[in-house]
Amino acid sequence: MMKLSPFKARHQNEEMQLQITSMADIFTIILVFLLKSYASGAVTVSPTTGTLLPEAHAGDPPVEALKLEISKDAIQVDGQPVMKLNAFAFESADVQGNGISVVLSKALEQQRHKQMLIAQSNSSVKVDARILVLSDQKTPYSTLKSVLASAASQGYTDFKLAVVRGD
Amino acid sequence: MSIGVLNSPAKGHQSQDFELNITSIIDTFTVLITFMLASASFLSIGIFDAGISAGGDAPTTNQPPSVNVEVSLSHDHSFTVKLSGKVTNTIHVAPKSGDWDLDGLAQQLGGVKARFTDVQSATLLAENTIEYKDVIRAMEKTRSTLPYVLLGGF
Repeated sequence: MMKLSPFKARHQNEEMQLQITSMADIFTIILVFLLKSYASGAVTVSPTTGTLLPEAHAGDPPVEALKLEISKDAIQVDGQPVMKLNAFAFESADVQGNGISVVLSKALEQQRHKQMLIAQSNSSVKVDARILVLSDQKTPYSTLKSVLASAASQGYTDFKLAVVRGD
Repeated sequence: MSIGVLNSPAKGHQSQDFELNITSIIDTFTVLITFMLASASFLSIGIFDAGISAGGDAPTTNQPPSVNVEVSLSHDHSFTVKLSGKVTNTIHVAPKSGDWDLDGLAQQLGGVKARFTDVQSATLLAENTIEYKDVIRAMEKTRSTLPYVLLGGF
């Protein structure tokens, strides 16, 4: 607020109100847009910090399934770390001759058991073979093979590989 | 914001124009928008369907395809397309400028598809050191010709 003239200032009403109606309108529109984009994504797929998913131009929309994340240092199942990795590598003692990881297989078995218990008590829920794999783009194929083999051994045979959609 | 209200008969001479104080609303909106922008994820996630070459769901048709297609990725950035069944053949797709020749792979798979129209799937194999992003790139290219991609090498 600026005084027009110091001489006339005393007698002039200096109270001035900012017209913020248009700002309120803009904010309302932004808020509605943000809330809508929140609501449209029913399935939340968010890799942990440091995990870079590979990029692809195509891909179907995400589905709700058991989430398995492979990062440089660990494997998480349903958001819970189940085992450590050493620069994407399993401990040699953990991997069996057929490529199945003992620890990961056990963790997936628990998830399977949980699903079966739910399916038993609720007829509308079926045991799901889908598993959503969020893997870092630098994961070697040997690690991926072991993870998928472990999942398949527990009945998770429908793999959904998560990618970041490019333009 | 000015809201004009019709003068009531009783208080005809009193002005009822007033200004709503929306400063607090603006404050609330600012906080909300900042919070939502900070927590929003702007990544668009897509999904690639993949099966495994052994096990998995039962086949949809009883008739096996004319040929089985197997695409292998090597550490020297070359592809090997192996056909087995009615025809046995091996096609080598050499790297292009030191990188994977994805267009060359698509071209070879397109040739296979044109010759054997009933072929719908391919099995993808990779050497142990091949990175996941390269597998996905090859998978994406393969899917453009053959919609069902199975991961192999287990």
